[in-house]
Amino acid sequence: MVNRREFIAGAGAAGLQLLQPARMRAAAPTAPVAIARCKTYGAEFLAAAEKMFDQLGGMGRLVKGKTVTIKINLTGTETTRLDHLPAGRTIWSHPRTVGAVIHLLDKAGARRIQVVEGAWVWPASLEEFMLKAGWDPDLVLNASPHVELVNTNLPYKGSKPYTRFPVPNGGHLFPAYDLSTAYAESDVLVSMNKIKEHGTAGITLSIKNCFGISPTTIYGNKVPVDEPAPVPRGGRQEIGHNGSRQPPKSSPAEKDPKSPRQAGYRIPRFITDLVAAVPVHLAILDGIETITGAELPRQGMTKFVSPGVVMAGTNCVTTDAAAMAVMGFDPMADRGTAPFETCDSTLRLAEELGVGTRDLRQVEVIGVPIKEVVFNFREHGGPRPSRPPGGRRGV
Amino acid sequence: MRWPSGPLEIARRQKNEGFTPEVGKTLERWHEPATLDFLTDTPTSCLVVSWAAGLPEDSQQQKTMAPLVDAARKRKLELVGWVEGSADHNAAIAAAKSAGLSAVAIRNYKGKPDPMVVPWGERASPPWDSPAPVLPITGNVWPGVQAGANLNPDAGPTALPWLDSNGWYIQLARARVRAPVWIVADPPGKGRVLRAQDYSMAVCDSEVAGGRWVVSLDDGLRAGLAEGSAPARETWQTIANTLSFFQKHRKWSSFRSVGLVGVISDFAGEDYDFSGEILNLMARRDLLYRVIWKSQAMAAPFTGLNALVYADAAPLAPVLRQKIMGFVEQGGLLVTGPKWGSEGKPVTLGFNTQFEVRAYGKGRLAVAKEALSDPWQVSVDTQFLLSHRNDLLKIYNSGSSGCTSFTASPDGKNAVLQGVSYSSGRGGGGLRTVWIRPKYRSARLWLIGADAAPVESEASEEYFGTEYYLPVTAAQPYFALEFEA
Repeated sequence: MVNRREFIAGAGAAGLQLLQPARMRAAAPTAPVAIARCKTYGAEFLAAAEKMFDQLGGMGRLVKGKTVTIKINLTGTETTRLDHLPAGRTIWSHPRTVGAVIHLLDKAGARRIQVVEGAWVWPASLEEFMLKAGWDPDLVLNASPHVELVNTNLPYKGSKPYTRFPVPNGGHLFPAYDLSTAYAESDVLVSMNKIKEHGTAGITLSIKNCFGISPTTIYGNKVPVDEPAPVPRGGRQEIGHNGSRQPPKSSPAEKDPKSPRQAGYRIPRFITDLVAAVPVHLAILDGIETITGAELPRQGMTKFVSPGVVMAGTNCVTTDAAAMAVMGFDPMADRGTAPFETCDSTLRLAEELGVGTRDLRQVEVIGVPIKEVVFNFREHGGPRPSRPPGGRRGV
Repeated sequence: MRWPSGPLEIARRQKNEGFTPEVGKTLERWHEPATLDFLTDTPTSCLVVSWAAGLPEDSQQQKTMAPLVDAARKRKLELVGWVEGSADHNAAIAAAKSAGLSAVAIRNYKGKPDPMVVPWGERASPPWDSPAPVLPITGNVWPGVQAGANLNPDAGPTALPWLDSNGWYIQLARARVRAPVWIVADPPGKGRVLRAQDYSMAVCDSEVAGGRWVVSLDDGLRAGLAEGSAPARETWQTIANTLSFFQKHRKWSSFRSVGLVGVISDFAGEDYDFSGEILNLMARRDLLYRVIWKSQAMAAPFTGLNALVYADAAPLAPVLRQKIMGFVEQGGLLVTGPKWGSEGKPVTLGFNTQFEVRAYGKGRLAVAKEALSDPWQVSVDTQFLLSHRNDLLKIYNSGSSGCTSFTASPDGKNAVLQGVSYSSGRGGGGLRTVWIRPKYRSARLWLIGADAAPVESEASEEYFGTEYYLPVTAAQPYFALEFEA
């Protein structure tokens, strides 16, 4: 069996890149991105995903005999909806896309599949969170005989609840992160979520999805000073967004406590650190149905849209870069330019850590060309806020 | 309606912070019959007037009350004299009879039985055995999201805002007495500006639980009403509309909770504090419950319940314990303290809990590993041990509410789900969706001040059950869905 480190080394240049000091870094690695049209959840998505996986070289080489971890996205509280629409059609991963991907990875030979999410301020199992939200967890659990659900906001079962993940090249914000041991037991990480804009980080794609891998028992509000909390007590505003406090002493402190205490500075660094420390091996983005304007419903700002597109890639930066182009944004954009009007570019920061390239000239797009599926989020969006919601501006 | 006025009320208020000449003037104005005019064509049926407090002003109060009493009686209003402090009960009763009051309300009255007397008491020790036609309770909270010093919502340990509601207590009382429960709660002072919606919420908070709030207005609103100001009259009209709404739907207050969890306790002393708080916090999580007084538990059917919670420190009588074990054996869940016993075989759970869970018969026993000390944790653990698979309702975009009431008529043919937005307009949010597990033939939506309306519904897309799509946001204070089986 190939472990994560071997996999990274074998998967391309990324592994080597991560071991080199920043100033010696070569160009960030690239990987192809597959794009397909898809208007409905269910059979159409299953066929589209299967085709995309084949276009990426097949999933067998990636997951056969491996422990696969699928980081889904269930952002916000369990009862938030855009008006009457189920969250799976607007802001969350859709249970049927998760079920379909599990089915395909199982078919490709995955030995064990963990479906994970840091369910917001939730003291119990992920299954209970799904039930409270009105999801049928059986759609996920019955998709393969080898599926488990893990709420990574809670201490992981067994004697080692958390494992330390150093950030290659030292990291932007923290030198290392303490995460659920579920991630240490994983050989392959899949990040799957919706294509959306984000009020603070500009976009939320496969990289931003990984904000949720940081346990709120360590990186959440109201955590104890010395040790992780036994259960989550709040979101990630204090540490991840505005830096008003440090994690418990048992975890690594920030590299530079004098760095800007601004969400638009911190969140992009926090999440790119995470995807450098815990590489994403497969990114799957759902643009079948989603919202524009923000990551969560906001009165007057967010609109339900149906771009009818799905994407997949084996590098989270290249995949997100292609997704930005599909959304009508320039993936080379940085602070001051849409969608990063008030924040730094997640893609640029990830590129700096050697995770992948955001330069689409270096990315092979397979399947439907980007120009044929462009869905301009700003043209389809509601009014923009004059300032991002949440987070304190300035330093 | 609480009707503070006259020399006694002025004397009482002068001892308190915040008394001003304007407040005194308003209390004088409210002693005048003309002030009753704003009650015309409103559902107010009874005035609770200041009557005796053991102060020198008592007799002057009673003497000067005559014109107001006469005017009120002409309007067919009942008058109840409020007696408190060290007042001479017999003198107060005699004066009330002489003045033509309908009744006097006396704290924990222990004197000679008198149909004129309505005993009242504090929450923790009310006169449960009172024969009076109503049970007034004091020591209640002003409902709503609790504000901190900066008037921003205070957060609880789980980042949910603290929410004050009297609903749990009303359910507790209604399980014990047949008489209507009067919730006596005055508006918070100290600079809090109350809007019409806040008053409407105060009415709703009691009514959805089957109780009645004794309407009590703040100084500013009473002054405005005495002066006939338009904004004050508008606020009053909102209150009156809310009262009228519930008056029209009085039958709902006879409905009982469809809850799956029965909370058994003697609700006395420390058990009142602990088990009462469990009720309060279960309501906050929309974990529907039924109150079961320990003294009535042998006669109470456990039909329809999936779980029982017994958190009192004292062991149960063997016969009741046996009944509960029978409930567990047939598939129920018991959540209880560490002294229960050691029946059953340990079961491994997927989450941390303060309980050791054991399989017993077809059911489970969740026995605390240590003495129970945190009612919030008991409510959380009970909900997870029961599992959200058993939820009866979910409300999407509910704002910071919780405390949803879901009750049914004794024959089960009618049910009503009532939601109150305690965030008082601060919640915003999108349109609400109500998901319920039970199937009903028809449903209609009620909003205060509007006729019943049909409501769009369909089978849940992602889960079993039915979703009802309300054209109502969390900013609106109240809605009711009335179902017919």
